[in-house]
Order: sequence, then structure tokens, then C-alpha cells
Amino acid sequence: MLSALLLIPLLGALAVVCWPTKLTSQQAKNVSIVFLVLNFLASLYLLSQFDLSVTGLQFQESVPWLETLGLGYELGIDGLSLPLLIINSLLSLVAVYSSDADMRRPRLYYFLLLIITFAVAGAFVAQNLLLFFIFYELELIPLYLLIAIWGGPQRGYAATKFLIYTALSGILILASFLGLVWLSGASSFDYSATMANGLPWIQQAVLLAALLIGFGIKIPLFPLHTWLPDAHVQASTPISVLLAGVLLKLGTYGLFRFGVCTFSEVWVDLAPYLAWWAVVSVLYGSLAAIAQTDMKKMVAYSSVGHMGYVLLAAASANPLSYVGAVFQMLSHGFISALLFLLVGVVYKKTGTRDLNVLRGLLNPERGLPVIGSAMVLAVMASAGIPGMVGFISEFIVYRGSFVSFAPQTLLCLLGSGLTAVYFLLLVNRAFFGRLASTESQTGVQDPVLPVVTWQDRAPALVLVALLFVFGLSPSWMTRWIEPTTTAMYDAMPVKLDRDRHPAYRTSQLLDAPLGIADASIDVVTCSNGDCAL
Amino acid sequence: MNQTMPAHVKNIHPFAHYVDRLLEGGTLLPDTPDNVLEVMGALDSYGVVLNRYSINLIHIADHQFLNLFPVFKYLDGEINPAKMWQHFCHDRINYEYAEYTMKAMMWHGGGGLDAYLDTDEFRENCQVAIAAKIKFNPMLQIFHRAFPEFLIEQIRQLAYYSGLGQFWRVMSDIFTSLTDRYLRGEIKHIIQIVDHVKDGLVADAARPITYSVDIGGETYDLLPPSAGLTFLPDTAIPYVESIFFRGTPFLGTVSYNAQAQQISPDKSRFAYGALYADPLPVGGSGIPPTLLMQDMFRHLPDYLEAHYLKTDRGLGDVRVKICASFQRSMFCVTNAALIGLLPAGAGATEPEAVAANREFLQGWMDRLAASQLEQVQTP
Repeated sequence: MLSALLLIPLLGALAVVCWPTKLTSQQAKNVSIVFLVLNFLASLYLLSQFDLSVTGLQFQESVPWLETLGLGYELGIDGLSLPLLIINSLLSLVAVYSSDADMRRPRLYYFLLLIITFAVAGAFVAQNLLLFFIFYELELIPLYLLIAIWGGPQRGYAATKFLIYTALSGILILASFLGLVWLSGASSFDYSATMANGLPWIQQAVLLAALLIGFGIKIPLFPLHTWLPDAHVQASTPISVLLAGVLLKLGTYGLFRFGVCTFSEVWVDLAPYLAWWAVVSVLYGSLAAIAQTDMKKMVAYSSVGHMGYVLLAAASANPLSYVGAVFQMLSHGFISALLFLLVGVVYKKTGTRDLNVLRGLLNPERGLPVIGSAMVLAVMASAGIPGMVGFISEFIVYRGSFVSFAPQTLLCLLGSGLTAVYFLLLVNRAFFGRLASTESQTGVQDPVLPVVTWQDRAPALVLVALLFVFGLSPSWMTRWIEPTTTAMYDAMPVKLDRDRHPAYRTSQLLDAPLGIADASIDVVTCSNGDCAL
Repeated sequence: MNQTMPAHVKNIHPFAHYVDRLLEGGTLLPDTPDNVLEVMGALDSYGVVLNRYSINLIHIADHQFLNLFPVFKYLDGEINPAKMWQHFCHDRINYEYAEYTMKAMMWHGGGGLDAYLDTDEFRENCQVAIAAKIKFNPMLQIFHRAFPEFLIEQIRQLAYYSGLGQFWRVMSDIFTSLTDRYLRGEIKHIIQIVDHVKDGLVADAARPITYSVDIGGETYDLLPPSAGLTFLPDTAIPYVESIFFRGTPFLGTVSYNAQAQQISPDKSRFAYGALYADPLPVGGSGIPPTLLMQDMFRHLPDYLEAHYLKTDRGLGDVRVKICASFQRSMFCVTNAALIGLLPAGAGATEPEAVAANREFLQGWMDRLAASQLEQVQTP
């Protein structure tokens, strides 16, 4: 069944490339859409067949491949990869749907997009370290080409920077995986959470550090993030949607699955420092976003900030914060994909993303009122307004992390506040006021922007609907995640023990009379599905 | 010819060329086929809408007299489930716009109507009518004793309802007859539109403005014929002043920065009227022009709709387009009023008479300097 999710996009990619007759851009797009709709339906079918009572891997497939290398075709999913797999199918469809109808070199373009869908799905389902690594690296090539060929004026620079950073990330991850397998004496690269048990602390620490930097580049965490704003600004809208919505999640997914669970002994020791790292990343991303005048850069920096919450939650290492980490990945996937989609429509219609130029786009007659309204909703979700998915994810993250790291959580909360600051700046500058003339219309009395079609609006409206669906009924999401993350927590040989660090001892004195220590016990014992939601 | 022209005629006023154009028999709005079509289309639908506004304003003045809870005031007395359902589904004219205009006119005041409402004679008339109206209503009697000015102020407002209703009755008829002429193919140029409006205004200039209500089968005069109020000086000119020129600033279209004194404390210096308004924010909620443009859109003639459909956004930004066309048509009406008010008459040729006309027009050009006059010169 999981192979279907890999085969459908792969066959789609081959179909686009090998189509016997001449394909126009629209036809290539239609072919891709057909395959991606099938892919999405297949992933929904998978959802319907997923057994919530099983906490381990499901739909496992195992085919020996290169046994001498330890590489096997080992697939399987659990509550951690299932939602990410579905969001990948959904956002790939959105990305293809929102691609321009008259794309240059359409065959190559849609081929590469489908390969990305294939590679990302592969990475999410791979249960062999080497197989994961292959899929992880495979996704780089199409993304590099998509930025380098269909990107903006500085695309060469941005694509190369992206390639160097992520290739470095790949090398570190591979080194860590190789080290793990050799040091643990495993006979193959087949992944198991207990692989690192028994290794000396320092060896585990080195392996984890390599993983942290490797995935930290991908997530991205400050100061490893500099490729991201450049890549986003130069990439076309569908690529940004995929990049922010899905590809960054490979970093957090990898860190969560291979870092937190495998090296939990070291992880809990490093946790307070990682939480501080998350704080730095959140605050840096938020403050940098405030300073931007390019809408896309602003959204890109906000990604840096919001991905920091995932690290905070992962560092907090308790069952609720684990749910929060996964929820935040998904919520950020929806919100940032939507934001990039909307910025893309603004750019397509006005020819600029410069906040010094754009004004009054909410004008009901001549502006982009529906897109503008969706933007207001998206930034509300991103800033964590209750009723929307961003609130739930941030609430779970903070609720989970506060019991472990109160000061770090409070500082990250400040980052949530700053989200409102920069996004209100964005909305106020670009959407309120009198509609401004764009450069191409200088001298015209009344600016007239090109008409926004329902094709531009439809994907955005679908994502807006999802923001509310999961914001109002978060258990529809947590029910898939929670059994797996709780099992992961239970399987950790070492728990985050508040007595281990001198830093907690003082805070514990403070906590006890306030009942926060009790809360942490509640959090730990909730494992029956809906948790403390 | 140039050499024989007196030196003082060469004027440094930046809008002097508009004055020259008017004195030479031209119009403020350039005479182009598109302008004729847009102005006629706008006046066509405006005539239909004004007819309904006028009927409703007069209905409220006459039949909702001192009704403190006029729930059905927009139904024109036709209170039945079908009409109410239509109203709830918003399949209706936005009469709120007419009331907004009435209030703007009342706030700015000016003219004989405004002056008469402050006379003792009017208070007498009011007291008699109020006494008759609240004879069997002890609650209102107590209320009237406690707040003796309240009901009188209500009647002042009702007088404006009636006055604006009567003014728009005339304007609607002028625009409707103009539309008939256009549809017969008689109107080809802007100057013909201006002349038609001017002739209509002149013909009804002395039409009396009166207001009386029927209470218990007896008629009570509130604006009696003896007050001598007439159409042109007491409703038309205050209307042009308060709606075309001064207007009121709308939230969302003008900054209200009080520290920067962006709104003049002196309302005679207000320049937010129909000739000054920026059409671009029209369509936004909460601003009165949106209501008017929506009403005009309901009654938009096919030829104007076809004209709009030729543009980029088609009917997507139709309210902004109607507002722009409407503004052009209002420059024609202003033009007609200016020509009608020329001190030495429109056809004057004597140098002194021409100079007097020029001086008169230049005074108005000062006021039009900040208006959209320059913008409507573009095609």
C-alpha cells in the first residue's frame, strides 16, 4: 500500500516525461493533477485503514535490496509519518494546481515536481536509514533545478546556496547514520529506536550533534537558516509552497524520529540548551521578519521562527510536547503553504512584493478582496488566534514545554506575540489604505489590477477551511499523532528528569506550590487519545 | 485677434482655460462619445433611483410624521409579507443613502429652508402640529414636556426629508426626460446634456417648496406657501453646496488624524463632496456612495453595462466605474448650474458683461481646484 504512494507520483513523472505526443503546458499540468489526485485519494484510503490501536509501524513492506550494503526497501508508517504523508499529498496537489498555465518547459517542470512528491513521501515512509537518506538527498536535485530554472532574477545564487547548505546537511546526516550503524554493530541500516542503546555518552553526543546540525540546516534553525529566505524569494510560488509546507518538515521529522528517540539519553541532557537554541531561533526569526519589506522574505523568516517551536517542544520531551511538536509541523505546513500561496497571487497580480509599494489590496472592487481576506485569516492563524489551527499547535507546544522549561517557553511566547507584530505590519501596509498604482501602471488615473480567478482562489480557500477545521476540532489531528508520540515517550530509556539539572531544582521550588508540578504529572499520564485538549 | 485682445484678459489663474472654455460655450467635461455615453448612462439610472428616493423621502415626511419607531418607513406604506420578504432579502433600493444625503444637507444648512426652520413662525407651526399629533398619547405628552426641543428638531428633519424629496422629484423628471431624448437619438454632445439640465433648472426655479401633514383629517402647514420657499435658492443651491462641494468625510476613505488637523474645523472649507470624492474606495462597506452606486447598478442601462464590460475587470469593479461616470455627470450638472447662475447671462458679448461672468466663474474655479475636474479630463 505504501509503495502505491511512491509509485503513483513516480509513474506520473514518467508519464509526463514520456508522453508520446506533444504536451502543452496545460496538458502536462492536467496529467500531473490526475496522478496527484489519485495519490491524494490513496493517502486518504491509507488514513481510513490506519489502525489507531497499533502504536508501532503499520503497512510495513520489506524487500531485500542491496544486502551487502545494508540497504533494504523497508517501509512503514506510524502516527508521526501518516499526517505528514497526507499533507505532502495535499500540498503537492495544491502546488501543481497553482502553477502557471503557461509554464516554460512544462514536461521538465511537472516531472521535477512529481519527483519531489515521490522523494518526500519516500523519506516519510522509509524505515531504513540509508533508504531515508537516499530519498532525503533525491529531493534536493529537483528542488535545485526548480529554483535554478524557474526562479527569480537571482535564482542561480539562491539555488547554489540551497544546494551547498542542504548537501552539507546530507553529509552530516549520512555521517551520523554511518557512525550509528558501525558503532552499534548493526548488521544493516534498518532503523530501530534502540540502536544507540549501550553506546558511550560521548559517542551518542557526537552522533546527535551531527544530526542536529544536519537537520538544523533543513528545519532551518538560526544560524543555519540563511539559505531559506534566498531560496524562497527566488523560487516560484508552487515551489515555495512545497518548500515551506513539506520540505522543511523533513528536517523536524528526521530530528524527531532519528534524534530524539534514538539518542534520548543525550537528548534529555542537552534539552535545556536545545530549548535555548529554539528561543534564539524563534526570536531571531521574528525580529528579522519585522525588518523585511519583501512579503515573501517576511513569511520566510516567520518560518524560521515558527519551526523553532518544534525544537522547543521536542526538547521538552514529555508526551504532550511531543504531540505539540508534530501538531506544530502540520499546522506550520498548512499556514506557511497558505501564506506563500497568497503572496504568490499578490505577486502575480501586482508584479511586486515590496511592502513599500503595495497599498490597499483589500479594495473590494479593484483590489484582491478575497485573497486579502484569506491573508488576514492566514496571519491570524499564524499569530495563534483561537479557533484556528495555529492556536492549537502553539497552545499544545507551550502547555507541554512550560512544565519542562518555563523561561524558554515564556520567551517563545514573546515570539508568538512578535508574529502578530510583523504580520500586522504586512497586512496594514499591503492591504489597507488607498489602492496604489503599480509600476506598470504609472500615470494611469485609477489602478486596475488583473482579475483574480477562482483558480487563484480555490487552493487558498481549501487551506483556509482546513485552518478552521483543525482549529475547531484538533482531536481530528491529534488522534492520529498521540498514540505514536506517547509510545515514543514510553520507549525512551531515559526521561527528562527535572532533578538532573541544577537549573530545574530552583524552579521546582517555585512550581510546587503553584501546582505546576502536578500538571506535569497529569501531562505524563494522559495517554488515552485526546489528552488534555 | 490675439493682438487686439485686452491685456487683462490673459489670466494667470491655473484653471483660466476652463473659464475660457465655458465662456466660449464649451463644457467642463470634454465632449467625447465615451463621455456622452457614460454621462447619459449614469443619469439614466440616477433618474430612476432618484424617483424612488424622492417618493420615499416624501412618504416618510408625510406618513411617518413623529413616528418615533418608523420600522416600515422604507416600505412606502405597502406593508405586506411579500414586500417585507423582498426587503429582508435586500432586493430593494438603499433608501439609507437618501437619508444620509438629507442629513448632510441639514448639517451644512444654508438657503431659505434652513433659515425658515429657525424662525418663531416655524416653531408655532410645529407646536400646533405636535399638539394635534400627541393629543391622545400621554407618553409623548410627558416626553414633549420634558424635552420640548426634541419633537421640533424631529420636524426640522422631516422638513428636510420633504424638501430634498421635492428637489429630487424635479431632478428625476429632468433626467428622465433627458434619457427619453437620448434614447430617441437627440442627444449627441455634452453641451446638449448641459443645456437640457440648465433649462430644467430654470423652468422650475420658482417652484414653491411647501410641507404640510395630515393629522386626524386636518391639514397642518409646516412650510406654508406664505414662507415663500422656492426650488432654486432654497433647495437646489444648498443641495449643490452641501452635497457636490462640501460633503462629509467617510471613515475609511479619509484620514481622521485630529492632531494633524486633517479635517477642517470650519465646515465651509469641507471638500468631500461628489465633485471631490475619490471613486476608488467606493464598494467598501460603510460608506454611503457604495449604497448609491449599488442602487444605480440595479438600474444600469444595457448600453452602459456593455461599455463597462469592454474593460479589464468587466463588472468586477462596476461600482467604482459607475462612481467615476456619475462624477462626470455631476460635472455636467454643475456646469449647467454655473451657466444658469452667470450674472450677465450665458450669451453676453459686452466686454463688461463678459468680465463679470469671467470673475464669477473664476471664483468657482478656486473652489474646483481641488476637485476631480482635472481627472475627468482624461478619457
